[in-house]
Amino acid sequence: MVQIVISSPGAGGLAEWVLMELQGEIEARYSTGLAGNHLGDLHYTTEGTPVLIVGHHILYGKIVHLEKPFVVLVKHTPGEKDCDELGGETGTRYLVTALIKNKILFKTRPKPIITNVPKKV
Amino acid sequence: MSGPSAAMRTREEVDATLQIAKLNPAELLPTVHCLRFGPGASGAAGGDFCLLELEPALCQQLEAGHSLVIRGDKEEQAVLCSKDKTYDLKIADTSNMLLFIPGCKTPDQLKMEETQPDIVHPEIFGFSNNYWELRRCRPKLKKLRKLLMENTYEGPDSQKEEDSNCSKYTTEDLLEQIQASQEEIMTQLEVLNACVIGGYWRILDFDYEMKLLNHVTQLVDSESWSFNKVPLNICLQELGPLEPEEMIEHCLKCYGKKYVDEGEIYFELNEDKICRATAQMLLQNAVKFNLAEFQEVWQQSVPEGMTTRLDQLKGLALVDRNSRPEIIFLLKVDDLPEGNQERFNSLFSLRERWTEEDIAPYIQDLCGEKQTIGALLTKYSRSSMQNGVKVYNSRRLIS
Repeated sequence: MVQIVISSPGAGGLAEWVLMELQGEIEARYSTGLAGNHLGDLHYTTEGTPVLIVGHHILYGKIVHLEKPFVVLVKHTPGEKDCDELGGETGTRYLVTALIKNKILFKTRPKPIITNVPKKV
Repeated sequence: MSGPSAAMRTREEVDATLQIAKLNPAELLPTVHCLRFGPGASGAAGGDFCLLELEPALCQQLEAGHSLVIRGDKEEQAVLCSKDKTYDLKIADTSNMLLFIPGCKTPDQLKMEETQPDIVHPEIFGFSNNYWELRRCRPKLKKLRKLLMENTYEGPDSQKEEDSNCSKYTTEDLLEQIQASQEEIMTQLEVLNACVIGGYWRILDFDYEMKLLNHVTQLVDSESWSFNKVPLNICLQELGPLEPEEMIEHCLKCYGKKYVDEGEIYFELNEDKICRATAQMLLQNAVKFNLAEFQEVWQQSVPEGMTTRLDQLKGLALVDRNSRPEIIFLLKVDDLPEGNQERFNSLFSLRERWTEEDIAPYIQDLCGEKQTIGALLTKYSRSSMQNGVKVYNSRRLIS
């Protein structure tokens, strides 16, 4: 049987992240992939409604406080340095990297931003 | 909108976009989060990271620095264990995209800050369309008894103890083999009357356990002690020559409750446990017994002053009141299958129709956190009335 440990650094070492939930998939505009690219601008109205501008769309969402929080687990596969004295592997582990207690949910239809509307001269 | 590894947006660019989008900055909080994908951002499908959903209590444990452990064989369904609970681990798919964003604040968090920055540049760590989901489940403890029964302890003089090939398990060994939390395993070890001998967990051979118990009850009788006040030191003194002291003390702990009175250790013997063990000793020697005869022999066999009652035998023996004469036979819940459907199949193979009173002790351990016997019966059996009594039988044909 396998035992895989999920270890936590404790509250001091745990950052709090936010989850953003979007409908559909995200595709990179360029073939180089998503890494390094902008996604969009996230604003909040004074009433606390999230507003996301992505490409030519505006999305309105809401903040959801999660009844069941999430944690982000990062896998750590041992290299040669991780063998214990007997030469046995310490095994795959997951490190709890962040806590997520809130999510920003966008589930309404995005509204297109119309630009270049010709003005009447 | 922007090329690969784009430069960070400026507040001016953000404001320009707001204008094009016809959003009024006066209706917005001053802070904008310009979201971009981090340089290593990737999908959880790659296997390097994942999202685990937790109930608040588990989350608190992780925040306190405690660990969780995933346990499972290749053939088994994986479980996740905290130090005292076990959960089924499943993957839940969502049709939506989940992005994990460090350094992003909610409006409430922003409002609590003294100064609100006008621009922040969080980097998205990764994304996923599924997460790990937990559901509390019963620990899989049947294997524990199976492992410990491989090599029961028959006393220090037994040949077995000389043979180093006999299987023995330390606490660590058990944690590596059983899909349960440490605390659940420890509790079950106590239920099994197991003890540590030479660093290994052992279950006593039943006959040996009865031998120890008989030494104790005979001593209580000859000394005319009350069952409620059995002195440890005199037991060890008188019985020490016959059996190892640790075994005598272990027997007292299994069949009694320890307490201290004026600095001395005493045990209050448990009448129900002793009567039950005595019944097992009698019943295991035959397929079935005439009920009336059994009750007589049983009462005579228990220590004088103790009273036998059939309800002491729940989950150990079954009475058949439909046979002539009425009979009783050994049926240990420990010997029955662990899975719900298999357990019910096995019970209905033994007996076609059960009353709730009779079947309850044999399905009690199947009840989940908030499940009742009634719910289990509804799910796995069909009920009907027989002679004015509600009985349960199988939902399906059993070959």
